[in-house]
Amino acid sequence: MIDKALFKLPGARSILKRLVGLYVLQAVLIIGQALFLTAVLVGLWHGHSWQSQGRGILLFALCFVLRQIVNWWAGSKLSRYARSAAQSLRGRLLKKVFALGPHLTQDQGTGHLVTLTLDGISNIEQYIELMFSKVLVMMIVPVVILLLSFYLNWVCALIMLAVYPLIIIFMILLGNAALDKAKTQFGVFTKLSNNFLDSLRGIDVLKYVGLSKRYSKSIFNSSERFRHSTMDVLKIAMLSTFALDFFTTLSIAILAVYLGYGLIQARLTLFPSLAILILAPEYFKPIRNFASDFHATLNGKNSFAAINKILSQPDPVEPKLALHPWSSNDDLQLQNVSFAYEHGAQIAPVNTTIHGLAKVGIVGMSGSGKTTLINMIAGFLKPRAGQFVIQGHPVAEMNLAQWRSQIIYIPQSPYVFTASLRDNVAFYTPGVSDERVKEAIHVVGLDDLVAELPDGINTMIGSGKRVLSGGQAQRIALARAFLDRKRRILIFDEPTAHLDIETELELKKRMLPLMKDRLVIFATHRLHWMHQMDYILVMNHGRLVEQGTEAALMADNGYYRQLVDQMRGGSTNVQ
Amino acid sequence: MFSKIPLLRALKHDRWVRPYLKRYRWTLAIAIFLGVCTFFCAGALMFTAGYLISKSATHPYNILLVYVPIVLTRAFGIGRPAFQYAERLTSHNWVLKMTSHFRKQLYDSLEPDAVFLTGKYQLGDILGLLAEDVSHIQNLYLRTIFPMMVSWGLYLIIIVGIGIISPLMALWLLLLFGLMIFAVPFWSILVNGARQVAEKKQKNELYADLTDNVMGITDWTFAGRGDAYVAAHQKHENQLVATKAAMHRFELLRDFVQQLLLLAIAISLIIWGAENFGGVHGPSANWIAAFVLAIFPLDEAFAALPAAAQETNIYTDSLVRLNRLNQPEKPAVKKLSLHGPYDFEINNLHYTYPQTDHEILKGLNLTIRQGEKIAILGRSGSGKTTLASLLRGDRTPTVGTISLNGVPTSEFGDQMAQYLGVMNQTPYLFNTSLANNIRLGDEEASDEQIWDVLERVKLKKMVERLPKGLNTMVDEAGLRFSGGERHRLALARILLKDTPIVLFDEPTVGLDPLTEQDLLDTIKEQLRGKTLIWITHHLQGIDMMDQVIFLEDGQLTMQGSPSQLEATNQHFRDLKAADQGRLH
Repeated sequence: MIDKALFKLPGARSILKRLVGLYVLQAVLIIGQALFLTAVLVGLWHGHSWQSQGRGILLFALCFVLRQIVNWWAGSKLSRYARSAAQSLRGRLLKKVFALGPHLTQDQGTGHLVTLTLDGISNIEQYIELMFSKVLVMMIVPVVILLLSFYLNWVCALIMLAVYPLIIIFMILLGNAALDKAKTQFGVFTKLSNNFLDSLRGIDVLKYVGLSKRYSKSIFNSSERFRHSTMDVLKIAMLSTFALDFFTTLSIAILAVYLGYGLIQARLTLFPSLAILILAPEYFKPIRNFASDFHATLNGKNSFAAINKILSQPDPVEPKLALHPWSSNDDLQLQNVSFAYEHGAQIAPVNTTIHGLAKVGIVGMSGSGKTTLINMIAGFLKPRAGQFVIQGHPVAEMNLAQWRSQIIYIPQSPYVFTASLRDNVAFYTPGVSDERVKEAIHVVGLDDLVAELPDGINTMIGSGKRVLSGGQAQRIALARAFLDRKRRILIFDEPTAHLDIETELELKKRMLPLMKDRLVIFATHRLHWMHQMDYILVMNHGRLVEQGTEAALMADNGYYRQLVDQMRGGSTNVQ
Repeated sequence: MFSKIPLLRALKHDRWVRPYLKRYRWTLAIAIFLGVCTFFCAGALMFTAGYLISKSATHPYNILLVYVPIVLTRAFGIGRPAFQYAERLTSHNWVLKMTSHFRKQLYDSLEPDAVFLTGKYQLGDILGLLAEDVSHIQNLYLRTIFPMMVSWGLYLIIIVGIGIISPLMALWLLLLFGLMIFAVPFWSILVNGARQVAEKKQKNELYADLTDNVMGITDWTFAGRGDAYVAAHQKHENQLVATKAAMHRFELLRDFVQQLLLLAIAISLIIWGAENFGGVHGPSANWIAAFVLAIFPLDEAFAALPAAAQETNIYTDSLVRLNRLNQPEKPAVKKLSLHGPYDFEINNLHYTYPQTDHEILKGLNLTIRQGEKIAILGRSGSGKTTLASLLRGDRTPTVGTISLNGVPTSEFGDQMAQYLGVMNQTPYLFNTSLANNIRLGDEEASDEQIWDVLERVKLKKMVERLPKGLNTMVDEAGLRFSGGERHRLALARILLKDTPIVLFDEPTVGLDPLTEQDLLDTIKEQLRGKTLIWITHHLQGIDMMDQVIFLEDGQLTMQGSPSQLEATNQHFRDLKAADQGRLH
């Protein structure tokens, strides 16, 4: 009944032992409470005054209060445990996320990981609490009450015992029926529930075609259809709660009637009969409590499984290499490096050598594989086959800390953190002085931005505060490169594809000096960059179709030449 | 006192909860009645059972004397689950019905400003948030308003019922139950409500912070500083954990107090029962057990109230946000019927965004004639997109005029869609079939017409290859349209709409030059004779235009035909050379 993985949490066994003790104590107090109440009621029924029952009333109250105190105590103990267990799990998860880095985020999606770390862990906390309280109580309290009932009246106890499996069977049957019904409706369900958001997201299109006003009615109608199909499922889903309630209340009614007959025929006495009647609701209470939280446990269980799956991924093992800082004599060879995506696209084996402080351009149209190639070189992707030889060491992939620590990687939209401009610029060199930061900002041409910011370089920027334009984000990435001279390798992935042409040209002026004395790997489809490259790799449909200097490629009259001609669009203005 | 409850303050000028409570008051009344019946049956079951057993213990000479309690016990035993089932269905149906209205109301509130909602801001998130708000309001109904009304109903029944027998006892119970139903929930809002708000705020901050840093995870790993972030995050996290722990501690205390009140009620009933019905061994003593036992099942009706009350603080935000949306008004738009040729005339156009003093456009003069192809160039922030929304009439000039055939564009309203078609950067495809997406251009269009426009945008072959053809769902698993294909689908929509003027707002950002050139060729071919307004950030395909203007800082800095500019303007030549890869 309890998820085995829960036992593996540190400290789970010891808290469980203590809780079992407390819940047994609770069961005893429930019985005490019921029996003393019965005694008082029987006394009053016999015509005694309430003052004469004072001791009984006090004992009843004492059991009642003690029961609540035990409840309180167990609750706070358990929640403290669940909290610390959840916290340590969250810590482990975060460490893993940041250890695995972009690999994991690409695989799982940022949103999913964040939700898992925050909501997922909260679900697990709740899951631990529910499992260790409601499930445990369900396994202890009814058993103790049932044992006493056998002592009080075995026929009643048998009735109570018989109803329990009946409840469970019906709940499972009806639960499954509801699930089936929900599954058959699933298509309609998701479609209709997404329909609303879909309409909101595309509301501008509706406006552009002049349909937006009329569409309001259609929103209402599809929401009404959603209501009908939801109600169809709910009719069945709620039957399982109905069954649970039906069997519990009906069995209490049956017990009352049975006891009534027994009393009339003088087979029974009042005390045990009344005691059973008072205990019966307590007997069914735990399963009802559990049923009402059943769905919460499902969420917790799923999150727990998902997180354990991530935690079980091995930390990246790095080959012991002694890479030295990249210099003009170093080589990076790609030997038959290839890659295949799950959806079919692939990179055919690539062979090339990147030498020293060369400027290497990678050219190709979208889908040609230049980003995949760059991602393998930067270590984001592991090649399916082939190997790299870096500074003479053969390695299967470039996901190496010693390699990463030499790289400045600049993608199409560099990430700007929600932090001060200073912290953003000095991200790779946190200890650097304000003067250097200002110098970097000046060099990349961000002075205008600083002048606009109320607190200068200490102003918060980023998506949560002040959104920067694409060009400004690029400049921040360049400033990072300017500050970190130790990183001798610059990798660019389409840095200017989405910028306007004037901004691109301005940025180019700032970029070129930074490329000096560095190894540069530059993927783009903007051909004017190629004039500054020493060596060009030309990608087409996942193949490295040509490589060489620009002059050689132009002379070859191959695919590169074709690209150049096409881009000039048959213009007569040939150089 | 009640001004301390944020929800009540938010409800004062509310358009989302109160009107619907009124509109569906009868369904609500039925649901509350059923809810009261549910708990009434639960109490009554124990009441009759207690009476039955006590009465039976007096050994009545005839079974018929306990016949009524026997029947009632069974009836209440079945009645409770049956009423509950009916109540749940009624209340859910009721809430879902209101949801339909909420959604329509939300849509209607957003519709007037539809054009500015998407675009460069990440407003997708805000839309998601608003959609979530609607489900929060649902919860507010189901988890707070409804159980509260049910408990008030029960409260009334108990007090009136006991009051008939003994007014003094009724007063005492009025106090004790009152504490349970009003005082403890109120206490809960005061103490934990604020914590709940703090928790939500801290959680949102953590969400934003973690998302921000996971998005930038590449930089963290390249900088080799991942561990430093994890440590900082955990420190941040501890605040939230502390708030939650404090909340939980209070909840345990509160539940304990709630149970003590129940105990006080039970003991009061024992003593009251003994005074009223006891003292002698006789038939009246049978009632004592009945009254005492009936009280315990009611705990379930009252126990959830404090938690429900404290939750309302979370819903307040949603309610405030929804109420802050503009109330849609129906502007009186006069019917226009224009006849071609369609010419835009822009005179001394100035535009400043409301509530700012940054002037975006500073005195623009321009004429766009029917059939002309004009490119508007400029950097981001130069006012290109603002000009586009002024052309469409979504904004009104601050100074100067902008008119289509002499009518100010802002007077067109939705009628502008008949004259001007728009394709923007990321054309939105609705999650429905391909055919439906294209049919947005003309709802009456036949399949032949759709195939025809698909052929014109060169997608016919691609669609023919799809197993479900025109009925393919746009978002079906495994099927994604590439950037170029999405633009072509949007173009098909525009061709079907067949407006005399088409505006393209940077439609080719992110497309590679060859894909872009292909698309441009198609556009040139298919929109022959129409006015083409092309907002762009570079010079690909500029030669097909009749007129090029450069916007810089809200002013025209260059204007002329491409060949004129080529001949006379060095800057233009430089930019063009760079675009074609010729610049050194």
